[in-house]
Amino acid sequence: MSNEIIFKAENIVKRYAAHTALDNVSIEVPRQSVYGLLGPNGAGKTSLIRIINQITAPDSGAVYLNGERLKREHISQIGYLPEERGLYKKMKVGEQALYLARLKGMDKKEAKAALDEWFKKFDIAAWWDKKVEELSKGMAQKIQFITTVMHKPKLLILDEPFSGFDPINTNLVKNEILKLRDEGTTIILSTHNMGSVEEICDHITLINKSKKVLDGKLTDIKAQFTDEEYQIEFKGNVVAFANAVWGGWELVNREQMGEHHFMATIKLMEGNNLTNYLKSILDHVEILSVNKRVPSMNEIFIKAVAQKDNVSPDEVEQSLNQENTEENE
Amino acid sequence: MSKIGLIIKREYSSRVKKKSFIIMTILVPILAAGFLIGAMILGMPEDRDLSIKVIDDSLIVGQNLHISQHNETENKNNPFADPEAHLKSKITYKPDIKLTLDEARALLDSDQANFDMILYIPENILVSNVVKLYYKEMPNSKAQASIMDNINETIEILKVKEANMDYQYYKSIKTQVAVHTIDNKSESDQDSQIEIKAGIGFALGLMIYMFIFIYGVQVMKGVIEEKTNRIVEVIVSSVKPFELMMGKIIGIMLVGLTQFAMWVVLIGIFSTLVMPFMLPDGYDVGTLAGEMNGPHTTAEVANAMGQQDQVIMQDNEIINFLFTQVPWGSLIAIFLFFFIGGYLLYGSLMAAIGAAVDSETDTQQFMLPVTLPLVFAYLISVMGMQDPNSTVMQWCSQIPFTSPVVMLVRYSANAGEGMTLSLITSMLLLIVTFIGTTWLAGKIYRTGILMYGKKVTYKELFKWLKY
Repeated sequence: MSNEIIFKAENIVKRYAAHTALDNVSIEVPRQSVYGLLGPNGAGKTSLIRIINQITAPDSGAVYLNGERLKREHISQIGYLPEERGLYKKMKVGEQALYLARLKGMDKKEAKAALDEWFKKFDIAAWWDKKVEELSKGMAQKIQFITTVMHKPKLLILDEPFSGFDPINTNLVKNEILKLRDEGTTIILSTHNMGSVEEICDHITLINKSKKVLDGKLTDIKAQFTDEEYQIEFKGNVVAFANAVWGGWELVNREQMGEHHFMATIKLMEGNNLTNYLKSILDHVEILSVNKRVPSMNEIFIKAVAQKDNVSPDEVEQSLNQENTEENE
Repeated sequence: MSKIGLIIKREYSSRVKKKSFIIMTILVPILAAGFLIGAMILGMPEDRDLSIKVIDDSLIVGQNLHISQHNETENKNNPFADPEAHLKSKITYKPDIKLTLDEARALLDSDQANFDMILYIPENILVSNVVKLYYKEMPNSKAQASIMDNINETIEILKVKEANMDYQYYKSIKTQVAVHTIDNKSESDQDSQIEIKAGIGFALGLMIYMFIFIYGVQVMKGVIEEKTNRIVEVIVSSVKPFELMMGKIIGIMLVGLTQFAMWVVLIGIFSTLVMPFMLPDGYDVGTLAGEMNGPHTTAEVANAMGQQDQVIMQDNEIINFLFTQVPWGSLIAIFLFFFIGGYLLYGSLMAAIGAAVDSETDTQQFMLPVTLPLVFAYLISVMGMQDPNSTVMQWCSQIPFTSPVVMLVRYSANAGEGMTLSLITSMLLLIVTFIGTTWLAGKIYRTGILMYGKKVTYKELFKWLKY
């Protein structure tokens, strides 16, 4: 993976009548990476994506692809799978895929060849003459994915790519995304379901309430937000466990798994280390497993927002839950 | 191919290939031909002999009715008489002095009657000029006309005799004048027949009206379909929303023009191939066409104007009139212009409506203000046929929301004479307005198509214009 930047958005501001959808947001997407755009519903992700796709224009700020100001001609280099997706129901699958390919600027021959290849790859060549309304939802989603990538875009934008996909198709798409990245494509992937993308994103940007909260390499961010917390599964007396080491740690959580069987989450204070700690308790309890606890993306998000807004993580969580219920109403 | 070309092609071919399009395209001319033939058969005189019981309280008219029938041969040579007005069938009058009216009516009801109708002539016929005809089966209009002629003539003959005058002499001095209205600017010396011309314009205007409605709604439905299918966002990531909207509007317009052209061709084929077989001997298509179009229109219009003594044109005169007096070339060119202009104006508004709503059921509140002027234009045209150059018609033929229908009536009624200036201003206004509505619609469209789950108000739409 190189560190060359393929896509850059600088100080993007987008306002709608009553609210600001994007407030001075900048991102830099390295070539050949999977870039996660994470944030709760209504954070401004789709607004940013629509700007990247030139569906709407920013009120201020600039967008660059390969160092050039983004313009209409770049459309053929971008593939877009919107969150709200669909196809013409009455149109035949092949005809429709050809139509969408030609709108992306492919000529007829080239489009047909590319589609034949993809249809073979997904083992769906027999669907060419079927109408979309005859297909199941999963089948239609495969077609949709193909129409997004058939023109070999340099930049692929996937808005909530896994929503509505069943687990099998989710895996299929995840694998395809990684394969495309390895072949040289850069992927921007947006989702509010932060857990779903941890395993495939290389870089992330967290967006909340129209503002960027944090961005960087996923591994760096994880490291930054990881505390010295460990999960220790043991058998024995809990009092003996607690009394084994006198200072330098704190019990975050304790779960009883069975008779004399516990899972404790501990946090080590500064100046203490795991080896010493374990040495101290070894004589008192039987240790079954030890894991370093890595925070989930969701936890990182809440922490980051709390730090930025200078409020407690609980308050952030509360306001997020509130927003989600409003969204569902 | 350019992207907008691709969109037009998809919109066009996906609709033209639809079964409903093919069925409509074939069925409508068949139905139209069917109605035409049906109407013709219904309108044809029945060759049924009628026997009429005459109850005559005047004691003179009834028994002399037969004398008028002898004159029928002469009437055929009378230039004022309508040659078609007389029945081929025979009417027999049976005066009966024994029966009263009530008895005769009871008899007619009883199924045992050897007559078809009762003609009751009251005592004061010479003053009142009213007789009554009781029927079981309604006599057709030509039979009625024959009976009326017979009675009129009988009374005339009796009155002439009473005055010691010669009937032939009376006939020679009897006068019936026809007034031909001729536009002073016109080079031709023929009656300008403004009503017929207005009628032709109205027929064309009506077609524009229906076309705008049918295909405008298709534009709206198409936009809603793309929106509810959620395919629209994929497409606008490849083409500009405005291109998508215009592609749809133009594609559907071409569908409409195709359908229209096919109707013209098919109706032409049907009427030349099928009609001759449907007709009784001695008719040819030309006279039939004349009969179907001409007298009915004239009669209806004249009736509407409250004229009693209209002059009915002869069949060949009507055909001659249709070919020489109606400026078909310019009329068709103008028809196509207003057809396209009106459709673009309303079609773009319909596209905006489709973009603003989530489903067809939400369209009501926005449809009304758009369809209202169109319906208004139709009503104005119906009324305006009688007075095509009234102030209201002049205004409405300029206002772009009504001009596509109204201008056709006005232009045709005036045979294009003295219309050049108002035609040009009307056309320019229409062009400017549809560019304006398309621009507005484009603004609403590009915001609306990406807006889901929101009940849109007019206030909201207004905001979208400023985005």
